[in-house]
Amino acid sequence: MSLESSFESSLAAFKALHLPRAGRPAPPPEAVAAPGLSRGALAGVLRFAGLLALLAVVAFFAVRVPSFVTTGNIGLILSQSAVLGILGLGLTLVLITGGSDVIRGGIDLSLAGTLGLAAAVFATLNQAGYGDTACVAATLATGLAVGALNALSVTWLRILPLLATLAVMNICGGLELVLTENTTVPAGLPLIDALNLVGPFDLPVIGLVLVAAWLILAVTVRFTAVGLRAYAVGGHPEAARAAGIDLTRYLASSYLVAGLLGGVAGILSVAFLNAATSGSAEMLLPVIATAFLGRMFSRRLVPTVTGTLLAAVFLGALANGFQLLHVSSYWVNGIEGALILAVVGATSGLAGRGARP
Amino acid sequence: MSLETLDSPRAAAPDLLRFGVPLALALVLVAFSLMAPGFLTLSNIVGVLVNNVALAAIVSIAMTLTVASGGTDLSVGTAVDLGSLAFVSAIIAGQPVWIAAVLGVLAGIGTGLFNALLIAGLSITPFLATLGTLFIGHSLQQLTTDGGNPVYVPTGSIPPALAFIGHGAVFGVPLALWLVAILAAAAWLLLARSRFGREVLAVGTEPQVALYSGLPVRSVLAFIYIASAAIASIAGILISANVNAYVPYSGNAYLLNSIGAAFIGTSLSRTRRANIPGTLLGVLLLGFVSNGLLLIGWNFYWQQVGSGLLIFLALLLAFTGRRDAA
Repeated sequence: MSLESSFESSLAAFKALHLPRAGRPAPPPEAVAAPGLSRGALAGVLRFAGLLALLAVVAFFAVRVPSFVTTGNIGLILSQSAVLGILGLGLTLVLITGGSDVIRGGIDLSLAGTLGLAAAVFATLNQAGYGDTACVAATLATGLAVGALNALSVTWLRILPLLATLAVMNICGGLELVLTENTTVPAGLPLIDALNLVGPFDLPVIGLVLVAAWLILAVTVRFTAVGLRAYAVGGHPEAARAAGIDLTRYLASSYLVAGLLGGVAGILSVAFLNAATSGSAEMLLPVIATAFLGRMFSRRLVPTVTGTLLAAVFLGALANGFQLLHVSSYWVNGIEGALILAVVGATSGLAGRGARP
Repeated sequence: MSLETLDSPRAAAPDLLRFGVPLALALVLVAFSLMAPGFLTLSNIVGVLVNNVALAAIVSIAMTLTVASGGTDLSVGTAVDLGSLAFVSAIIAGQPVWIAAVLGVLAGIGTGLFNALLIAGLSITPFLATLGTLFIGHSLQQLTTDGGNPVYVPTGSIPPALAFIGHGAVFGVPLALWLVAILAAAAWLLLARSRFGREVLAVGTEPQVALYSGLPVRSVLAFIYIASAAIASIAGILISANVNAYVPYSGNAYLLNSIGAAFIGTSLSRTRRANIPGTLLGVLLLGFVSNGLLLIGWNFYWQQVGSGLLIFLALLLAFTGRRDAA
């Protein structure tokens, strides 16, 4: 322990001496005023660029296909993005609280597995004759249980989040197969019919659930002390600990809420498809892409709840627009990949050359 | 310049815990040989090594290099697939098998070059750079195969050399296992016994310190990602030779297990760094667990649950007592 801390402190001293800009903890304001200003301006342009890209895509499709901006189609985009968006929001919470270092920081690879397992639980119970309340309760409990397993592994057992959630993903995938025997399990409940209705503002209820989840989380993260502390735990764990924040509780909660959102996504996906289907594992990489792409919409290029929602809608609009334009769906993945690279390329250019994690 | 500080135990694990994974593997072997009579036979073990372990081991060796350098390569599967695609296309076009194999590895190197450009050139985080490559590779495969249709080598014109790569043996040992041994030895020499390996580990442990110590961080990273993709494409060539076809996206199946194996393997090192022997133990553990569960009669679905739980337990063994996590 003492060896470790002396190593860390000598490292900090080394960094303070030798790192010109990126690694310094608190540079005097006047010393960095000029580059700080230009970098801030660049960041402003970049945030603008994220929204601009979204608007440009919408405008392009609107001009080419007039039906793109009808209420019906916007509702369709929202419901197509709902499952991805909800899972992306869950991952965003984990990224905020766990920190953005991919290896040592927060990550939840089990979200797509949670989605599949939750959907399987919902549809199987439905087939067994249970009603709305029992199905929803069991599904949400499943999501929470997966989240609890993740939280336990990461905080108490101290397994790397990347690995712990990878193992949990495998367990979820296996349990899903046990329940569904790799078949499509149809489902039909009053709740599912209700979710498929068109609600207020002429928008489908599934899409409204996504909007509601975003509102709740955005308000919590942006306007409460809980949100500020979560960012502190992720960004500056030592400072957060010194300020008396219980890191373990925040980390554990982020995985629990993510698991719960996985359960919600499971219900939505059953409603959207009228069944629990195999292949939820394919959602994993799009979920990660959504959460990381969401940083494009934040001023400091950090994960934010609203950014993730915009990213999910952005990807949904792209896929939908290409479909309307009869562009082959084969291109969609490639364009998503190029977008991710463009965004993170701009981000790392902004963060400075020496700041590679 | 001294790299001595690299040996200071950041996460000084009690030495006993380093043997968590070998212990888990031994327990698995003993338990299954007691429960399933056919488990500990030579033919079953060779079967597991050839069918469950060899390809996963090659991809995991590639993954180990990138994990040692402080990153991950999510596009190993893409390199596997593009290697396979180039290899099969060249054979169908009538090229000799060795030229096809060279083209396959070149396709892998191309993938790696793209990653290197993003990571070393544009300073993009490896995780996200290779995620982008993975997505682009997916599109590329959809476009070239009209949405993911397998490409078969016509049954009448399978060259004997192709059959040899797929099913041949040298001195009674299957070719795939020779390749694993050669690649593992080369990667081990590179990582654990060369000056370059020390530089890779320095970049992986403290990139900023490495940079300001004057290490050629960019060239190290570029080499690692190119080497990783090249090694992965060899697995792609082996897969194609096995089934006489290119099956789109088949390489992605190895992605998560290779990450698992490489990180399980880190528990073998006193300083928790990725290392080739540890990775190979991880691959063996994963391979024998799924084979053993099959032999004791679990159906495929429960096998998935069982291997997930066992990986979890192995991680538990490997990570107990760790105190460097925040």
